[in-house]
Amino acid sequence: MTPLLEIRNVSCRFGALLAVNKVSLQVAKGELLGLMGPNGAGKSTLFNLIAGVLPPTAGEIVFDGKSITDCKPYDVARIGIGRTFQIPKPYRQLSIVENVMLTAFLREKTTAGARRIAEETLADVGLADYMGTPINALTVGLLKRLEVARALAMRPKLVLFDEIMAGLTPTEVGSMTKFVAGLPARGITVVWVEHVLYAIMKTATRMVVLNRGEVIAEGAPAMLARAPAVVKAYLGEEMDFA
Amino acid sequence: MASFDRASSARSPLIPLFPQWGRVSIFELALILTCIALVVVRLPTSFQDVLLLTYMFAGLALAWNIAGGYAGLISFGHAAFFGVGAYTSTILYLNLGLTPWIGLWVGGLLAAVFGAVLALVCARLRGPFFILSTLAFAEVVRLGALNWVSLTGGPEGLSIPPVSGYANMVFTSKAIYAWIMLSYAVAIYAVTKALEASRFGYYLCAIRDDEDAAAAAGVNPLIGRTAAMALSAGLTGIGGSLFAQYFLYLDPTFLISPELSFQFALLPAVGGLGTAIGPVLGSLLITPLSELLRSHLGNAAAGLHLVIYSAGLIVVMLYFPGGLAAAIAKLDWRRRRS
Repeated sequence: MTPLLEIRNVSCRFGALLAVNKVSLQVAKGELLGLMGPNGAGKSTLFNLIAGVLPPTAGEIVFDGKSITDCKPYDVARIGIGRTFQIPKPYRQLSIVENVMLTAFLREKTTAGARRIAEETLADVGLADYMGTPINALTVGLLKRLEVARALAMRPKLVLFDEIMAGLTPTEVGSMTKFVAGLPARGITVVWVEHVLYAIMKTATRMVVLNRGEVIAEGAPAMLARAPAVVKAYLGEEMDFA
Repeated sequence: MASFDRASSARSPLIPLFPQWGRVSIFELALILTCIALVVVRLPTSFQDVLLLTYMFAGLALAWNIAGGYAGLISFGHAAFFGVGAYTSTILYLNLGLTPWIGLWVGGLLAAVFGAVLALVCARLRGPFFILSTLAFAEVVRLGALNWVSLTGGPEGLSIPPVSGYANMVFTSKAIYAWIMLSYAVAIYAVTKALEASRFGYYLCAIRDDEDAAAAAGVNPLIGRTAAMALSAGLTGIGGSLFAQYFLYLDPTFLISPELSFQFALLPAVGGLGTAIGPVLGSLLITPLSELLRSHLGNAAAGLHLVIYSAGLIVVMLYFPGGLAAAIAKLDWRRRRS
């Protein structure tokens, strides 16, 4: 089976710094791929390369059989890749529903249709009670959920989640983890960059560990927690992923 | 800025009482009827001048608001588009005998091209840098008009022969001009409302609020900004052609002046940026005020009218930071409660 997303030998260089060094990885349809690594490992850069924010210095990115190496962010969105922002970027002068409508417009040209999709998606992520709340009154946890709703409202084939757990309370992490875990069953493939490891270790079907721009380990979450290379990358200490 | 609760508009009655996003309200219909009535009752000539200028500035403020309010492209150079429209229809009429009824569309189209060029040239500029570039752009256009004497008449300007008739779009009756300016304002109001109800309108707001997020929603920000600027500039250009037919004299130092550009930006700011009703309310308040202050105080104490005018603006900005539109939205008790 051909993978939904394929990254072939992708590199990205910022001056003297090689942020991503010949990374190759494949994401199959229906997978929930976790991307982890210590600070500066190149996770966000890889994320931005897929999302079209940065052009790779070398290599190729193929989505659904087509090269998206030179695609801009709006092209990437149009072919069915949704994304969240690590620091939420809501449209501050629009309502919560309208924030989600903007991505729903990729599926529905009419405002009424987009509004319907947006309201469904908001109910889906548990924001149904907040539809009348001004954006500025939302907590970090709710803003992160809004980010997820925006990414899903376009009905993507693939979603890229960038640290959607950061800043959340343990209860919020619990409900969000359960929600994300259910996405592959709905036909949405997930690539998930996350620092809150206990959340991602529980849900990911496969994990890829980056360090210094290179893939240092890959496999099932339980196996990776014990892998020497991973333990070494994280400050040389064995970690407890309880 | 905009304080209308757009999210709830799907649930409210068929024709709402107060202005709402993308919908026509009783308030707006009453306002249009009042504007029509003011033309019908035939006020004294001096008041008719003020009236038609108020309508014209309402239309121009609405046109500015498409770029400045919705797309967040604050421009202090819209007088350039106004001038391009005025000169185009006038030059076509004087040199080729083309009726201004057609010339105004050519003027609008050319102004739209100017707007698109400005947006593309300033593609990478944001905030104050963009604003200053628009100001500089208008200066370039003004100097161009001032120095291209064979085409524009240079500093002496151009005069349209005051021969009245429908074909050359010159009238002795002020009421006809008032009708034309009112139609202009209502037409741009309709364009604005259609924009609010459309995907394109939402795209502009998204670009204004967060360009990265807009791109992640499949919106090409550069195309959005260019289209918004072209639409706004084109509509401003048509206004310029209409003004030329009313004033019958084109003077580059007035037509393409920074003062005029500031006026286009000021009216929506006072009325409420990014709302349809805002620019209209801004013009209804400010244009008669500035005209009356100038005619009554202009001779007695030169410059005093500007002092009073500016003081009034400061009061509005202090107490209604969201503009008059936000103040009206507060009257809407049904939605304030929720």
